[in-house]
Amino acid sequence: MSKKILIVDDDQEIRSYLSELLGDNGYETVTAEDGSEAVEIAKAEKPDLITLDLEMPNEWGPRFYRRISQDDALKRTPVVVISGLNAIKYAIPKAIATLTKPFEAAQLLKIVKDAIG
Amino acid sequence: MFKKILLATSGAPSTFGAARVAFDMARRYGAEVLVLNVMGVPTKAFSHIVNDVRTGEEIEVDDEYRAWVEEELKTTFEKQFEIVEYSQIKLTTGVPSREILRCARDEDADLIVMGASSGDSSVYRKGYPGSTLQKVAKAARCPVMTVHRETASYWGGFSNILFATDFSKQAENAFRFALKSAQEIGCDLTLLHALDISGKVLDQNEIEDQIIAARDRIRTTYVPLMGDFKDYDIEVWEGVPFVEIVKMAREKSADMIVMAHHSRELNPEKARIGSTMEQVILRAGCPVVSVSKPDKV
Repeated sequence: MSKKILIVDDDQEIRSYLSELLGDNGYETVTAEDGSEAVEIAKAEKPDLITLDLEMPNEWGPRFYRRISQDDALKRTPVVVISGLNAIKYAIPKAIATLTKPFEAAQLLKIVKDAIG
Repeated sequence: MFKKILLATSGAPSTFGAARVAFDMARRYGAEVLVLNVMGVPTKAFSHIVNDVRTGEEIEVDDEYRAWVEEELKTTFEKQFEIVEYSQIKLTTGVPSREILRCARDEDADLIVMGASSGDSSVYRKGYPGSTLQKVAKAARCPVMTVHRETASYWGGFSNILFATDFSKQAENAFRFALKSAQEIGCDLTLLHALDISGKVLDQNEIEDQIIAARDRIRTTYVPLMGDFKDYDIEVWEGVPFVEIVKMAREKSADMIVMAHHSRELNPEKARIGSTMEQVILRAGCPVVSVSKPDKV
């Protein structure tokens, strides 16, 4: 059974790119365009890993992370931060990795493979 | 509760985090943002020649220069201006701290938002907030929010406010502000006392007795003031106070830390910003609110 990844990003192009990239590498993907929507999807879909943008219109990445970290079923889900902002490694200290846009596809795939296989 | 937010900015990158938070708060709570830029300090009283706040260069402030500064601010904060319904730019000359306080008073601002320093990255500035913040935080009638680190500006609405207390008289105003904010916004409130054991070698039983006593003191001091508000946690952590406050904020993913401007000096006119507050401002991963006077809380 393929592993499921939730992609949270307000940029449609990034969502499509990541869905295609991860889908081509055998992962199932679901997407959300902001933190509020992502919480609902995460609760329903129980993803194995989450890629998270920081700056989104309705709810920023760190708020989303706080909400899932209070949920017993989701709090251990690994999170990879992907953002164009500076200093992103400080935004969610418990994230398993941070990638600054633009990033290499191979870099993301290695992080995902190391985390969930 | 935030109807008018005064953003004091030099337009320097060190204030971008403060701008991001001020505009985002305004969007969420339907507040007006007043963007105040103090263009320079007059070389002589009422002179049109000023020393630029950022560069120190002498500049003649005429209509053309004002228009240029306004355009620069509009360009710098272009994306932010787009997300708010009400905003205005205010330009002035003078001593920055005085002008910020004057504007906050004249406009009856509910909150002043600013960076911790003008961006000087010297060792001195890294260890201490700038003098403008020191003066504004001391004299402002309204709470003063500081956004120092870029990571402190990653903001998406309030879900948890951390109120740090040393049980001083001055902490009462800060508590009232923290409680009112949590009640009106509908978020959680964490009440923290950081038990100072720095430089002491204490018996563990003694430390734990003090922790129990501090928890009881929070319960008896603040809980009766909270009425029906139940979304609170009480925490007491021992260590170096500013370290424990920053750690707790990170652990609880706090969106805002609220503290008293000072604790030891009873005369607010004499007090400088407390050393714990100073270090929390510089190190926190979320905005820090300093409350000095009771007027707007």
